Amino acid sequence: MGILRLSHVEVRVPDLELATAYYTEVLGLIETAREADRVFLKCWDEHQHHSVILRFAPTYGLEHMGFKVEHEDDLAVAESLVESMGSTVKRFSPGELAPGHGAAVRFDTPSGHVMELVFGMQQVGNMLPRMNPAPRPQSLVGIAPPRVDHIFLTSENVDESTEFFQRFGFRLTEQILARDGHQLATFLERSHTPHDIAFVTGPNGGLHHFAFWLDDWNEVRTAADTLAYHGVPIDVGPTRHGVTRGYTLYFFDPVGNRNEVFTGGYWVDPDFETITWTEEQMGRAIFYYEGQVNDRFFTVHS
Amino acid sequence: MGILRLAHVDLRVPDLDLATAYYTEVVGMNLVERDEDTVYLKCWDEADHHSVRLRYASRNGLDQISFKVEEEDDLAVLERRVEDYGFPVKRVSKGEEVGQGESIRFETPSGQLMELVHDVEKVGTLLGKLNPSPMPVGLPGIAPPRLDHTLVTAEEVGEACRFYRDVLGFRLTEQLLDGNGHQLGVWLERSGTPHDLAVVVGPNGGFHHMAFWLDDWDHIRRAADILAYNGIELDAGPTRHGITRGNTIYFFDPLGIRNEVFTGGYAVDPDFPTITWTEDQFGRGLFYWEGEVNTRFLRMHT
Repeated sequence: MGILRLSHVEVRVPDLELATAYYTEVLGLIETAREADRVFLKCWDEHQHHSVILRFAPTYGLEHMGFKVEHEDDLAVAESLVESMGSTVKRFSPGELAPGHGAAVRFDTPSGHVMELVFGMQQVGNMLPRMNPAPRPQSLVGIAPPRVDHIFLTSENVDESTEFFQRFGFRLTEQILARDGHQLATFLERSHTPHDIAFVTGPNGGLHHFAFWLDDWNEVRTAADTLAYHGVPIDVGPTRHGVTRGYTLYFFDPVGNRNEVFTGGYWVDPDFETITWTEEQMGRAIFYYEGQVNDRFFTVHS
Repeated sequence: MGILRLAHVDLRVPDLDLATAYYTEVVGMNLVERDEDTVYLKCWDEADHHSVRLRYASRNGLDQISFKVEEEDDLAVLERRVEDYGFPVKRVSKGEEVGQGESIRFETPSGQLMELVHDVEKVGTLLGKLNPSPMPVGLPGIAPPRLDHTLVTAEEVGEACRFYRDVLGFRLTEQLLDGNGHQLGVWLERSGTPHDLAVVVGPNGGFHHMAFWLDDWDHIRRAADILAYNGIELDAGPTRHGITRGNTIYFFDPLGIRNEVFTGGYAVDPDFPTITWTEDQFGRGLFYWEGEVNTRFLRMHT
């Protein structure tokens, strides 16, 4: 019932060919469909038609994010919830928004991001058979994460964004509080992991990063090798988060959108008691080993 | 709504002190509470009162398997469904059982006693909720963060599987079929992982193993070192499963109850298409690297 997990991320890219080459050859995603101005990609272990959409645009940043819901009825429930808050919501039939896409609703969030909920996206299968499958395919290129994991956005009013997402059933796992008690950053989940979406103080509409799951710390190390080999600029890591406990590596795609590879974390029950970080521990909260955060991490977003 | 995850496994042991020493010093669980004939244990990252209960008895065995439900109403809904299936359900009131509130209990078609519980006493993890470090330092033994899943035996795996799916709402991620299409083994989940409960062919009421989660393959290696140091008998591994894709070691507690440490797997949506293994690939299904299963693994259970 309700929202299950992050389904897909659509990012703007001013050079569609360059971005496609990076996402397929360095990250190792698989191209599932292509139009004149959009390329659809998925990770190898994902069954659904796409989890990343690259859209040709004169600038970079987030076009929209999609979350998967469990039942078709969840779309109608979300629709009335958005309307009850006085916002407009648009309904789309299967296939209307994109090839292979499911039925969907879209609306704006208070932080100026376009949020979509989707049900019934076409299942194209992972790269393994359903009978006697090997644990992983052998022909993968690049980092080859099995799936997308979470998205991290900037918001001028993190308290307001958090409350908005909690109304859709997101649960607050962790928060970083300023000395005056307002939320500097929040981490919210639906999938029993530390986060499916997170917010940090910054301009409305901003994309801080989106993250791909890796199976363990050793794969984070291998990802760093792959990125360095291709000359991809690394932002931070490999290191560890205090918040979420995850192991991480941040880097930029060739048009300036920040990516992350992430592993670790912990299981979250619905009755999980929120973890609070205080502002003076912000360094350890974000990068536990270093205890401090570089300026670029705070100031650069797309 | 419904069952969330495995809550606790309650075991009978003929030597309570020996079993307690093993589970606290080798596995590295925390002793939460102890009375004359019962010991309550939890893993370091579990906030609930206990995940393993040891009860003194003249021979080893399974008392019951307990699953946690998301909402209190789930108990009434599932009680009715189990009764409609034709199995009597016993209500256990708050206060009758240490560390938890009201629960329901019933016998399953595979002959194990099962409990469903909502209201569990929170004792908290070792880390606290304010600026917590990602892990406690100085824990003895393997120190898994949490319990993961359990595997039981049944004479009629197909019947057991129908009960767990149709009555309790488990989803079938993987199955092992014999040449006639009968289920020899089924892997079932509620938590978005490859399995919370698995059933393989064997005597009704049998208990094959319980598994603890580890964060990655390197921790599996470290667990093997700790087990060997303590002279614990390994059953199989470190190796990899074809089924679930997990990395694993099996070993026995000093009373002969099989334990596992497990990591890996994959994310499971409710619309996950079931994976099927054929009998001729049984070896790779269970132990992917070796391609064969030792007789002890198939025959020995509690």
